[in-house]
Amino acid sequence: MATTAKTPAIRLKNLEKRFGIGDAETFALNGVNLTIRNGEFVAIMGPSGCGKTTLLNIIGLLDTSYDGEYELDGVLADSISKRKQAKIRSQQIGFIFQNFNLVPRLNIIENVALPLAYKGIGHTKRLVMASEILETFHLNEREYYMPHQLSGGQTQRVAIARALVNQPSIILADEPTGNLDSRASYAIMEELSALHKQGKTILMVTHNPRLTTYASRVITMLDGQIDTDTKVVTDLAEEALKNSKLPKKTRINKRRQNKTARASKRKRK
Amino acid sequence: MRLLIAHHLDNALRSIRSSRVRSFLTMLGVTIGVASVTAILSLSSGANKIIDHQISDLGGNIIVIRPGPTTDPLNNLYRGQLQRDYFAGTLTENDLTEISKLPNIKTISPIMMLSGAIKANNSAKSDSMIVATTPEFNKITDLEIHEGQFLENGISSDTVVIGSDLSRGIFNSDSAVGRKLTIRNQAFTVIGALEKTDTPVNYNLIDTDNAAFINLSVGKKLNQDVIQIQQINVVAQSTNDFDKLISDIERTLQKEHSGEKDFSILTGQKISQPTNRFFYTITGFITAIAAISLVVGGIGIMNIMLVTVAERTREIGIRKALGASNRDIMWQFLIESLLISLIGGALGYDLGYLIALITSNALTFNPVMSWDIALVALAISILMGVVFGLYPAIRAARKDPIESLHEYD
Repeated sequence: MATTAKTPAIRLKNLEKRFGIGDAETFALNGVNLTIRNGEFVAIMGPSGCGKTTLLNIIGLLDTSYDGEYELDGVLADSISKRKQAKIRSQQIGFIFQNFNLVPRLNIIENVALPLAYKGIGHTKRLVMASEILETFHLNEREYYMPHQLSGGQTQRVAIARALVNQPSIILADEPTGNLDSRASYAIMEELSALHKQGKTILMVTHNPRLTTYASRVITMLDGQIDTDTKVVTDLAEEALKNSKLPKKTRINKRRQNKTARASKRKRK
Repeated sequence: MRLLIAHHLDNALRSIRSSRVRSFLTMLGVTIGVASVTAILSLSSGANKIIDHQISDLGGNIIVIRPGPTTDPLNNLYRGQLQRDYFAGTLTENDLTEISKLPNIKTISPIMMLSGAIKANNSAKSDSMIVATTPEFNKITDLEIHEGQFLENGISSDTVVIGSDLSRGIFNSDSAVGRKLTIRNQAFTVIGALEKTDTPVNYNLIDTDNAAFINLSVGKKLNQDVIQIQQINVVAQSTNDFDKLISDIERTLQKEHSGEKDFSILTGQKISQPTNRFFYTITGFITAIAAISLVVGGIGIMNIMLVTVAERTREIGIRKALGASNRDIMWQFLIESLLISLIGGALGYDLGYLIALITSNALTFNPVMSWDIALVALAISILMGVVFGLYPAIRAARKDPIESLHEYD
């Protein structure tokens, strides 16, 4: 793998997350051990309530009450101050949500520019940067629309643009295509796939096994634990993806789909 | 951080604009409070200014002696001092003679105020004053004579000088010289009428437009042969001897009063502190209303900010996920509440002047516009925005990002 760095981007050791107290205590995460290297595209699958989103929130430094160890770029997350954590969220992590989570009272370009404000970038420069990134998503004609005026697919692309505007190294996507039809889903997955090729680390939670074909690694979770962990992509496949257009790609995708189909079959048993 | 403040300001403006009615109603609380404070302050400093002018016109070397110890006029607000009116006056004819003997005095004039009926064609209004004084009074206060002359030494004792309102009241005319009137059923001849002054607020505590000036000796006779002095005005020979004169007067009076300091010697700014009790009572009353409306307005701000925070819970979650720290969120909401109170305050400041201007039509002095009052209004607004906006802002900052993101899901 081309983009593997010396230290893993994310390392989880015996991670536990509990909800409730006493008899009502349940484990959302029950001893998760996971190492994710820079440049990986990890798809996390599993039934509802198995802790996928909780895992993503912890990795995204939104949830800080857990047991176990979480190292981000070799630093224990526990030891980072709240303020620094906010800074890391602002500069290293990009969130993509199932329900898009654009701020409804801000227009598209302001939504995209929002993370830049917390980085301390001036108003005009923010808008210029946001405009630039919206252009790469072919949304520059929609800059001054309000979020509710866009279709689901467009809204999610805006959300991805917003997640990327700070040039984060890690992208956390929680069911990014969950509210989209298959056509829009395809477009979104193509965007994520392109980001992966740029060397971004992507963690994506999904229910849709077909989407795992884009990932370089598929993790299935069950009852707060990692059930299976499969690496799918080889250098060869990566190369093939890069050099080829549609026909070859579909071929590779098919091969991946077979693998994941097998994996999900195993799970069902 | 500086850039973030611009971001927060923009954000707050937008938010206020997006819910105009709500924001306006919230501001109204602050507006009313600040308006009343501004109105009171500008009117009361208008009144002070008039007296200040009178004092500075005198060249600054006037000394005012009053009976009774000095009291803080503000004390009168919450400590009823009405009984003081019935205390025996402590300045006597003897005091006047003793002080007159001191060196370095240019002019000295006592004021003795009497009550009693003034009659001619009509009876005078009951708030008309009879002032027994010496001809020197006019050398110090410098009243403009409309017609005739002021009191003079050596002229007949049954003569009187009257103010313009009094003249109109009892003679229905401005030309009163030569006419007869009765004070306490004694006949007097008018030898002078005064020009209208419109300064019922003055350091002599006399509404000169509504007063009859008679000789001190006549006043003594009208008052069962006793002189009761309400005030002695002294003008020093020169500013150099001013301080020495004050201590001389103090020493003399204390000696005469067997060591008791039952008198006040006022100079400069102290004279201009309006001692009018009524004025302060009104001021205090309005101040209390203003304070209440400020608190109520503040609670309004807090209430609306709490609603705003609840409405934007999800936005808070999004912002946190995008890299906003708790402090950023806190500032966002604090600046919004500050903006509400500042705009409300600015409106209130303007409204306050408007009220003061309208009210001053009924009064005889103009409201004062000064930076001090603007500063007070600004300080009140900032204080309200911070005090009542802090709790909602802290609440917003402490919201859990994950729960916030799932709000209304």
